[in-house]
Amino acid sequence: MKNIKRAFRIHRIFMAQEFKRMMEYKGDFIVGIISFFLVQLSNLLFLWIIFSRIPNLMGWTVNEVVFIYGLSLIPKGIDHFYFDNLWSIGFFIVRKGDFDKYLTRPVNTLFHVLTEKIQIDALGELIMGVALVCVSVQGISAQWDVFRILAMILMIPFITLIFTGIKTITASVAFWTKRSGNVIYMFYMVSDFAKYPAAIYNRFVRNVITYIIPFALTSYYPALFILRGENPLFNLGMPILASVVLMGAGIFVWHRGLRAYESAGS
Amino acid sequence: MITVDKLRKEFKKTVKEPGLKGSVKSLFRPKSEKVVAVRDISFEVAEGEILGFIGPNGAGKSTVIKMLTGILTPTSGSCTINGKNPTQNRKSYVKEIGVVFGQRTQLWWDLPLRETYGVLKEIYEVPDDRYKKRMAFLNEVLELDDFIASPVRTLSLGQRMRADIAASLLHSPKVLFLDEPTIGLDVVVKDNIRKAIEHINRQEKTTVILTTHDLADIEQLSKRIVMIDKGTNVFDGTIASLKAKYGQIRELSFETASPNAAEALGYDRHFSLGKDDLSVETEGNSVKVRFNSSVVPVSDMLSYTLEKINVSDISVKDADIEEIIRRLYGQGVE
Amino acid sequence: MKRKLKIYLPFVNAGIQEVATYRINWIFFMLGNALACFVSYFIWSAVYESGGGGSMSGFTMPQMVVYIVLMFLTGTVIASDAAYVVGEEIRDGTIAMRLIKPVSYNATFLFQELGNKLPTEIAIAAPMIIAVEIIRTVLSGEVQFSALSLVLYLFSCVLAYLINFYFNICFGFIAFVIKYLWGANMMKNAVIGFLSGTVIPLSFLPGALEKVFLFLPFSSLNYTPVMIYMGKYSGARLWYYIGLQAFWALFFFVLSKLLWKASVKRLTVQGG
Repeated sequence: MKNIKRAFRIHRIFMAQEFKRMMEYKGDFIVGIISFFLVQLSNLLFLWIIFSRIPNLMGWTVNEVVFIYGLSLIPKGIDHFYFDNLWSIGFFIVRKGDFDKYLTRPVNTLFHVLTEKIQIDALGELIMGVALVCVSVQGISAQWDVFRILAMILMIPFITLIFTGIKTITASVAFWTKRSGNVIYMFYMVSDFAKYPAAIYNRFVRNVITYIIPFALTSYYPALFILRGENPLFNLGMPILASVVLMGAGIFVWHRGLRAYESAGS
Repeated sequence: MITVDKLRKEFKKTVKEPGLKGSVKSLFRPKSEKVVAVRDISFEVAEGEILGFIGPNGAGKSTVIKMLTGILTPTSGSCTINGKNPTQNRKSYVKEIGVVFGQRTQLWWDLPLRETYGVLKEIYEVPDDRYKKRMAFLNEVLELDDFIASPVRTLSLGQRMRADIAASLLHSPKVLFLDEPTIGLDVVVKDNIRKAIEHINRQEKTTVILTTHDLADIEQLSKRIVMIDKGTNVFDGTIASLKAKYGQIRELSFETASPNAAEALGYDRHFSLGKDDLSVETEGNSVKVRFNSSVVPVSDMLSYTLEKINVSDISVKDADIEEIIRRLYGQGVE
Repeated sequence: MKRKLKIYLPFVNAGIQEVATYRINWIFFMLGNALACFVSYFIWSAVYESGGGGSMSGFTMPQMVVYIVLMFLTGTVIASDAAYVVGEEIRDGTIAMRLIKPVSYNATFLFQELGNKLPTEIAIAAPMIIAVEIIRTVLSGEVQFSALSLVLYLFSCVLAYLINFYFNICFGFIAFVIKYLWGANMMKNAVIGFLSGTVIPLSFLPGALEKVFLFLPFSSLNYTPVMIYMGKYSGARLWYYIGLQAFWALFFFVLSKLLWKASVKRLTVQGG
């Protein structure tokens, strides 16, 4: 209990520092938010043009596709907002030996790295995700009972951990190889598959993104339940299981990596 | 206080066989070989001591320091501070120590310096009243007041170093590790930093482990040094004993009007001294002779010189530690 | 003969070593980008299936596959980091050092970048063009390879690269205004991704919009070379689009010179 309280306290302190830093560079953050907003906008235009040609996509209506797309952006955006610092681990913190700092402090290194920075750019994704979910549900005639809405909200933290877990594992590779930024990038790109209903992929791809690099669990499967009431055990259970497994694996690999850390530079 | 027991670190290094074939091989099946960076080093440090930790480049100095500060995991052996061990409980261990790496900073770059101390206060769980007292003390010793409100990125190198030392001392650690604390600083700033370190050591009995390339740091601050080379401990003792053991070198200097004095004196012939035991430098009228006093007693040297030529301003002094260590590094210590 | 070969061996050697050290990273990066192609492939095949097959806006499904692969290839071939490099130099002030060198600022960048790009381009372009041809032949059941199209495509890529390079030089000067280069580049890439037809072929856009986009410089980047390779442009149209590319290349070349002059003035007046 004391530990948790302390963790929150440290997190709050880091956040406060980050907001002060942001005030020093106000313009940057507007540029960052707009840039991520534009990336999403370009994808939306794509969907809009496509759906002007076809009635539905393999049985999914435009609203449903937009819902899945929007839903995938929310946990991705939260992960991006809070835990972006893992990219720096993969690209330069380990390579330059700057990781030393974390090891000389009486705080869990992973916790320190995760909470130290926030990335305001992510608001571009997050706001877009929430907006798309809100707009699209109005055109979907699903049963909107309390349980489904609650399920959707409660699933978000777990799904966020799927992103964070995969990022932690791939970032940890840097402890052995000095640099893993592009490994993170490659796995992160797999999350692009999560933007659309997994029904459009062939069986091989579907299995990969369900069981191996399970980004389909971040949006499509929960949506199957939320929109269509299908198989709650699998569609909600699997993402929760995956988040626990992946984050657990992330923590494990991270701590193995610390032992291999060679602190480059002088 | 600190016990280092048979500390060892091995790294894997990928090796490539020469030539094109070797490159292709290493692409598909990289071979690695074991490199022992630190070879079973042991020493102890008493409370309140300032230990100079030295050695030539690549001797394994930073590897040792990084193991002592919990950054690197030793392959075998252990280091304990007050019975605590970094591999068993890193978090409680690092609370006992403060670390400053001269080439890096742990300050929050974009924010006013004051903010860094606010964050570190939380990280190290320093209570409010202790924090206030501590900051007052550090302010007094390191004179932070002038720049505590400025963003860290605008500080000069010397200011930044003072700020970093203060940051490492905020939680009143029992041991302070200073890795090249005066690197890149000018003479006056160096001197200030040394005085501050000395002050803190005296006042708080903080144990200090100091690595540096500037041997003046060592000479001014520490009584004892540990020297390592090629991963092993080659000397452990006081500076006085280092001088006694290796420092039989004396420096005789004088001014003379006679041309080619050195030539005329011919120390090497007269005393049959080898290269290792003698060096002569002439600059205009002044001559400096460094010689091994265990081979030729100082009195013989003086009387011979005074006999041979007319001199003014003659003096003999101990060679400084820098000279000794330079000779040791140069020879490769056995 | 044997001796001559021997001279070059060390170069090959060095090249492979480079692959071993930092190209692994590059491979992961390219794999990441290739994944985006797969996503495109699946979404388009779902679209064609849902649309009942046939042709959409002049593209059949097999053609769309070729389009996706060629877009990926072209994007890689004409990629330029110039905006970032110029931006960084402006931000950290090293741009002032370029003033004292008696060579053209832009040209030094151009050759620097070409030197870095050429080996990887050859490594990636040749196998991918073969792959495209195999895909085309298998999907359509007949050999469609045209050496003329390939030559024109490569020529068009050179123009596209020059446009991209000089446009990026110009864009790099934005660092005088925006300090957050990464964000600015992200913004640029998002907009260009759409305007250049990377996200969706421009022929899918409403008529008027398509006309505007086709005239803008960004369609000259990826879209024109790909359309040329696919044989969609011929006769007068072909020469019109190549002419347009040449126009934009010249335009950004001149603009970059003007911006450079303006920034020299700024640097010398304000002292950096």
